[in-house]
Amino acid sequence: MAVVLSLCVTLLAHAADEFSFDLSAYTAPSPFELHGYAELRQEYQSLDEDSPLYRLNFADSGRDALNRSIAALELSGSYRNGDSRIAGTWHGEQQHDELADHGAGRLYELYLAHQPDAGTTVEVGKRAVKWGKGYAWNPVGFIERPKDPNDPELSREGYVIAAADFIHTRGGDLHTLAFTPVLLPVTASVNDDFGQETGLNAAAKLYLLYRDIDIDLLWLSNGSRPGRIGLDFSTNLAPNFEIHGEYAYIHDHEQKVLDAGAMITRSYDAQTWLLGLRYLSERETTWIVEYYHDDRGYSEAQMQDFLGRVDTASEAMLPQLRSIGQTGYTRPTAMQDYVYLRVAQKDPFDILYFTPALTAIGNLDDDSWSLTPELLYTGIDDLELRLRATVLHGDRLSEFGAKPNDRKIELRLRYSF
Amino acid sequence: MKHLAVTLLLLVVAPRVYAIDAADLLRQVDRNLQPESYEMYRKLINIEPDGRRKEFVLYSVKKGGDKVLALFLDPPSEKGRSTLRLGDNMWLYIPNVGKPLRITSLQSVIGGVFNNADILRVDFAAEYDAESLEETSNGYTLQLKAKNTTVAYDRLVMQVDRKHKVPVIIEAYAASGMLIKTLRYSQMKDFGDGRPRPSVLETDSPLYKDYKSIMIYASIKARDLPDEVFSLNYMGRVDDLRGK
Repeated sequence: MAVVLSLCVTLLAHAADEFSFDLSAYTAPSPFELHGYAELRQEYQSLDEDSPLYRLNFADSGRDALNRSIAALELSGSYRNGDSRIAGTWHGEQQHDELADHGAGRLYELYLAHQPDAGTTVEVGKRAVKWGKGYAWNPVGFIERPKDPNDPELSREGYVIAAADFIHTRGGDLHTLAFTPVLLPVTASVNDDFGQETGLNAAAKLYLLYRDIDIDLLWLSNGSRPGRIGLDFSTNLAPNFEIHGEYAYIHDHEQKVLDAGAMITRSYDAQTWLLGLRYLSERETTWIVEYYHDDRGYSEAQMQDFLGRVDTASEAMLPQLRSIGQTGYTRPTAMQDYVYLRVAQKDPFDILYFTPALTAIGNLDDDSWSLTPELLYTGIDDLELRLRATVLHGDRLSEFGAKPNDRKIELRLRYSF
Repeated sequence: MKHLAVTLLLLVVAPRVYAIDAADLLRQVDRNLQPESYEMYRKLINIEPDGRRKEFVLYSVKKGGDKVLALFLDPPSEKGRSTLRLGDNMWLYIPNVGKPLRITSLQSVIGGVFNNADILRVDFAAEYDAESLEETSNGYTLQLKAKNTTVAYDRLVMQVDRKHKVPVIIEAYAASGMLIKTLRYSQMKDFGDGRPRPSVLETDSPLYKDYKSIMIYASIKARDLPDEVFSLNYMGRVDDLRGK
């Protein structure tokens, strides 16, 4: 009898524990908050010694493979006092491979935000502003650093700005209006990589929620970067089927391009746009497909010209070509027409928190492509495990075919705290 | 002839009266479950067949029949994520991504058996029409039909407790007639306004064999908030509402 009673008490205690929730840790939030993640990445790259960009990156190293270890730490913190808040994010990385050791720490954000009421916010400081609806690219990301289409969810460094946000909700067809003006100074020591001309740049975004459609109208003044206007939208065509798009018109874009072996600057009005779809199937497979066009990218002939010169250059010419590459030729997705496809399956084989995915980026100008299968598991508390492999394919003088590696495997362990 | 006319009249009028009663009971159920506008703290627990658990803590605010905003406070990997629902529209904000993405009611931002419609639940009356009401020995059975195809479940069969007028069991069906999940409300608790409400919601699904998800309500307080809080531009600042 005593055993039965003891068992009942144990079971009751377990049930009570299962349904217990200590609220005290949450209802009185501390004015100080600190969280972030620590990350370890191990990369193996199979190098393509015949590729043009191998010569630029690895010269005479003679290596056919490269192992790289990366440790990263990202800390985000804030201090809140009444209607004001100071917030910041710091990101540091240390990487080691068989060729070099390299470490750097950057302050991604540090800003003061004041919110006198729910509809008004003023922010001053370094802030990562993110505009647009695209997953892999953002033609209307006028005041942000470009994201890597291979890993679009990585945090990015912001710019020093002064910004405001005014929200007005009215109901009806035009449900919400929000206006976000931004000032972005460029001097020799502040935001010096935003553009060449120093001065005060202005930008603005007007958001509308109109009949279940998200619409943004965007603008950047002519200053450190050429002036531009843009529009984006996102809406659901069906509960499981979303469509989004972006369009930007850039006035007097200046492109540095190789012409008959010399660098020249061409000036022209450029258009860039993106159209994307996101579909969730009944089996919880998410399909994302995006088409991206950018007049500012290099044509197939321009890219082949650069890669051909690298391919046949003497050792003495490589440093010069390396610096030419850094003006744009070697940046990710540097050409004009791309398609992005991502297929992710949630919880296959009844394995909760397990998401295998496949991402493909195709260059429609030269028919080269990258393919990235991925396994993601988030079932261990605070730990995320991601295993990725990337295969590149294309002609020797195509964008992906010219990359210094043709295969890459990466294991990433991320611990959040 | 007179009897026939009265009988015919009753046949025509009775279902209408019954339908009004059903709609009225559904409105009572909505208000007895939670105030029309509130702030809430919840813990969501996903329990796997081997007993492993994953827990999430959410702070949520709701206004009117169809506006809900939720912020993840735990675990650290989810901290700062927020979800917004305005009627049929749902968005997810991830701090690193930095801009809200449209999501659907059928997905789940936490994995497990609860989907986004369960996590960002608006009033039942905002999404469902009460088609019929049947009195049973323990209470009532409400048959609910989705108002449109954007609603997560096509049909609900809701067992309602007679005394408290709150759901006890809800069976959710797809348009095909397949049972998608069963929701069980339990452990009545006074959250401070003198009106007992269920404090635990458990769910299981034939689609997730041997998995279970539990929602524990720790605090539900009436709170009126400006409409501007329920907007995309506010999703990165939800934490500013806490403790105010």
